[in-house]
Amino acid sequence: MRKSLPFMALLLVVAFAIPAFGQASAIDYYGFAWETGGFPPSDVGDVLVFTGVGNAADPVFGVDLETEELTFYMYDLASTGSMDIGGGTLMINYTGGYLEIYRDAAMNADWGISPPNPTSPSTFVDGVLFFQGSFNAMTVFLNPAGDGSYEGSLDGIGGTMIDDVCTGCVYTWGGNFTPPSGAQIPDGYDIQIDGVFEIEEAVSTEDASWGSVKALFN
Amino acid sequence: MRTRITLLVLALLLMAVPASAQQLFDFLGQTVVPGNVGGMLNMDSIMRDPAPGTTPIPLDFANYEYTLVVMNLTLDSGDGTSASPQNYSGGMLVIYEDNGTAADYANPATFHDGTAILIGNLTTLNRTMFTATLGSAAGWVDWTGGTRLDDIAPVDQLGWPFLTGISARDTNVEPGYTEQWDGKCEPEEPIVDTEDISWGSVKAMLR
Repeated sequence: MRKSLPFMALLLVVAFAIPAFGQASAIDYYGFAWETGGFPPSDVGDVLVFTGVGNAADPVFGVDLETEELTFYMYDLASTGSMDIGGGTLMINYTGGYLEIYRDAAMNADWGISPPNPTSPSTFVDGVLFFQGSFNAMTVFLNPAGDGSYEGSLDGIGGTMIDDVCTGCVYTWGGNFTPPSGAQIPDGYDIQIDGVFEIEEAVSTEDASWGSVKALFN
Repeated sequence: MRTRITLLVLALLLMAVPASAQQLFDFLGQTVVPGNVGGMLNMDSIMRDPAPGTTPIPLDFANYEYTLVVMNLTLDSGDGTSASPQNYSGGMLVIYEDNGTAADYANPATFHDGTAILIGNLTTLNRTMFTATLGSAAGWVDWTGGTRLDDIAPVDQLGWPFLTGISARDTNVEPGYTEQWDGKCEPEEPIVDTEDISWGSVKAMLR
């Protein structure tokens, strides 16, 4: 798979960046989600939607969160239903779905209440499309107490961050918390989410000498 | 009498500050999980500005770094699976404010320096791993000390949820740690700031 120079440059910078988030190049985000029909339960065909904001990003992304925001929009994730995997813990697999990240100087993200509403998702999808990916897997786990977690992998299909397509290059994970856990959740939303967006492919970037790096730009 | 009660209620309503934004101490950190019952769990993390949400008490992210650490949380039981979540108790949670040394996972002491602005008891915590590398934990915090404790009304100091997702993927875990935790500590409902106001001002508002 050929990658254009901007993406290669991104990967090379990642290779030398201080791993503030672990070993991967990442964006930390949080927000709130709702599912058609409510959550839980998650019935077959229910659709999960999430709007969120990035509140920390590796320097490699070149985003100044003091002057611009990164907003997250996950949508069209269709539930295949929930399964009890023991102890009342539910596992829910989703099919389809997209994740978009927008870069926006308006700093106007507003969840409001009872989504979709006039500000959500609209204030999370304005600005420049920084990343667009399609999920090839997404699973949510939920404890009876209301806390849980999720993980998904994506192909990058657009946005200024990658400048090209990439397969299986993105991974996202995080915690999901429903009202029994005590989480603060705006009216009309079902889940509070706190997650990390990672460029997996950057993690496996090969080591390169400075000479090799300089040669790329000669 | 009815009039006095009504006036008092009105005065209290006028002094309260509407709190519509979500409030949270948002953190991303690294955790050492004990291998056996009786062992201690410890976590070092960096807090981030949760805008457009807010922190429960005002913090100056432009000039200070805030670290949130969990110390000496004792594993009482469980193996961590869905069928047998781990149960912890007796830990301490501290938020430090520091403008001297940048937090560095290669030097855990850098998470424990500065001013302890909030100190709390992490009374209980349950940790569950759904897969070999993905899990969550939920606990409860009572704030008991720190230089900013009085910024939280006594009635609001108890029973804060501590919630986190857990990743044990090699790519997410720093050397010397066993898991990455991405979570938050927050009041169950937004808390309101207090505002000093004279009785004369209160009465003036009702004229």
